Amino acid sequence: MGLTLTNDPIEPLAEKWSLRIDEVREARERARSKRQEFKEICAKEKLLTQDTSVVVFGSLARDEYTVGSDADWTLLIDGEANSDHSRVARRISALIGSIFEAPNPTGAFGGMTFSHQLIHNIGGPDDTNANTTQRVLMLLESRSIHGLGDAAYGRVVRGILNRYVEQEISHLNQEHTTYKVPRFLLNDIVRFWRTMAVDFASKQWARGGQGWGIRNAKLRLSRKLIYISGLLTCFSCPLDGDLNSKIDSERDRALQLVNHLRQCVKNSPLEVLASFLLAYDTTGDASKLIFTAYNEFLGILNDVGKRQHLQDLRAEDSARDSLFLEIRRVSDAFQEGLDKFFFENHNILPLTKKYGVF
Amino acid sequence: MRPIGFSTGALAYSDYSAGLSIIRSHNLRCVELSALREGELEPLVNNLEALDLQGFDYISFHVPSKLKNLSEQAMIELLQPVTLRNWPLIVHPDVIERFDRWAAFGNLLFIENMDKRKPVGRTARELAMFFERLPDASLCLDMGHVRQVDPTMSVALEILERFGHKLRQLHVSEVNTNSQHDALSFETVLAFQKISSSIPETIPVILESRVPPDKVDEEVLRCRDALPVLIAA
Repeated sequence: MGLTLTNDPIEPLAEKWSLRIDEVREARERARSKRQEFKEICAKEKLLTQDTSVVVFGSLARDEYTVGSDADWTLLIDGEANSDHSRVARRISALIGSIFEAPNPTGAFGGMTFSHQLIHNIGGPDDTNANTTQRVLMLLESRSIHGLGDAAYGRVVRGILNRYVEQEISHLNQEHTTYKVPRFLLNDIVRFWRTMAVDFASKQWARGGQGWGIRNAKLRLSRKLIYISGLLTCFSCPLDGDLNSKIDSERDRALQLVNHLRQCVKNSPLEVLASFLLAYDTTGDASKLIFTAYNEFLGILNDVGKRQHLQDLRAEDSARDSLFLEIRRVSDAFQEGLDKFFFENHNILPLTKKYGVF
Repeated sequence: MRPIGFSTGALAYSDYSAGLSIIRSHNLRCVELSALREGELEPLVNNLEALDLQGFDYISFHVPSKLKNLSEQAMIELLQPVTLRNWPLIVHPDVIERFDRWAAFGNLLFIENMDKRKPVGRTARELAMFFERLPDASLCLDMGHVRQVDPTMSVALEILERFGHKLRQLHVSEVNTNSQHDALSFETVLAFQKISSSIPETIPVILESRVPPDKVDEEVLRCRDALPVLIAA
């Protein structure tokens, strides 16, 4: 059995193991509907050109939109510099105020992003925290609101992937039988995950504990899922049958790898994980634990009262808080499923050992 | 060695005779007769008999890229003398309104991929709808256009993986941010080299670089550098 990235692996996985995914389905529908609204607003005023894209991140991009979700977005610019881009970003911000909560004011969203720094500043002193975050999220959880065929967004995603891939000395394993895990990309994804975890502590410090509960819950589940999908995207290179069938072709291997990775990152993090579970979780144990937990998590976030409760919960009160204990139970089940898959599955364990630790 | 020539329109704006004579003076054996602008079509077609095309091994014809005064049907009728010569017709996909009108050209209809300004025909996925409706049509891969759409050239590879069997001609040039065709830069040469091995040596290359006559040989050399031919070990 090999890995195949299908259009929608979640429904087949749910059917295969009789998974309850009602909250997942509803969140997907809400996200798609909200993105369509966003798209119509931008289209109505012709706010975009061939050199710009509105890119969304977060739950809106991951297909996990719940009540109270905000809209993390940026105006991505891949073309000539123009001071009017700032006016366009402000206009978008004003127009979407009626359908979305404002994005986090200290976050990396809601303004402009330039392609050059995303592609050129990978590592080194100019790769700021915000740049790393936007770059990795651009790969792992972003969508252009225009959908497929959006040139500026597609161009930049390919440009970033190409930067990681073109620096690898060899793309194949020593035996030349499969593609290797792209280490430069993998290391940046690992760095991003650790940065998110460190930033959690930093925000806790800076905001005096405000919003601790919800950020902690997200770190345990949705943020961890982004990392998992990045890890699996890298693992897919030695596993994907279609990619590895092209090894003997005279065509450029780096470009084949870029195209493969581009296909992977078109999927949401949950879809990437579902593809792997569909291919390799032969008992269904990991799938049941992971998807049941994630479905519950989205259900909690979609409850206005519970979401607000988590928003107000401080760390010092969490040990006795029944909702937080529920979050902990859900996240422990999610982690147990991940442990089963990454440390017990005979297809995935070797990759975890080789690339996941040192 | 790859067969390389020029588009008449690149070397002499709206003056195909001048373009032809420049190309011939550089001993190039491939030419694309350009009627890119609507007004150029009728005079060129009416003068085909008189054109001195001796010495050219490969001749193609670029159909107007935009119609303002002519209807699609009227243009197709004007193209009759071209099709009688069995010359390939290079067509921008956004010119096609009714597929049935173009189907009769069979594999002499060369559909060209578009630059980033166009909403169609830029990627393999967007080209697929044209090749589904015109299954006999061929592909003219515009390397400058595809690099403008995606400088990594991974989109170009996708197009070749999917439609490489239809590839019959290349357009080669730099395409700048204003979507104009310029001389090849070092960056573009590097990009094109990435997919050179996917392009058979026999495919005719038509340069669209706007260069003065004294720079033609230099541009041809840069093109050979951009599309090296694999030497068997």
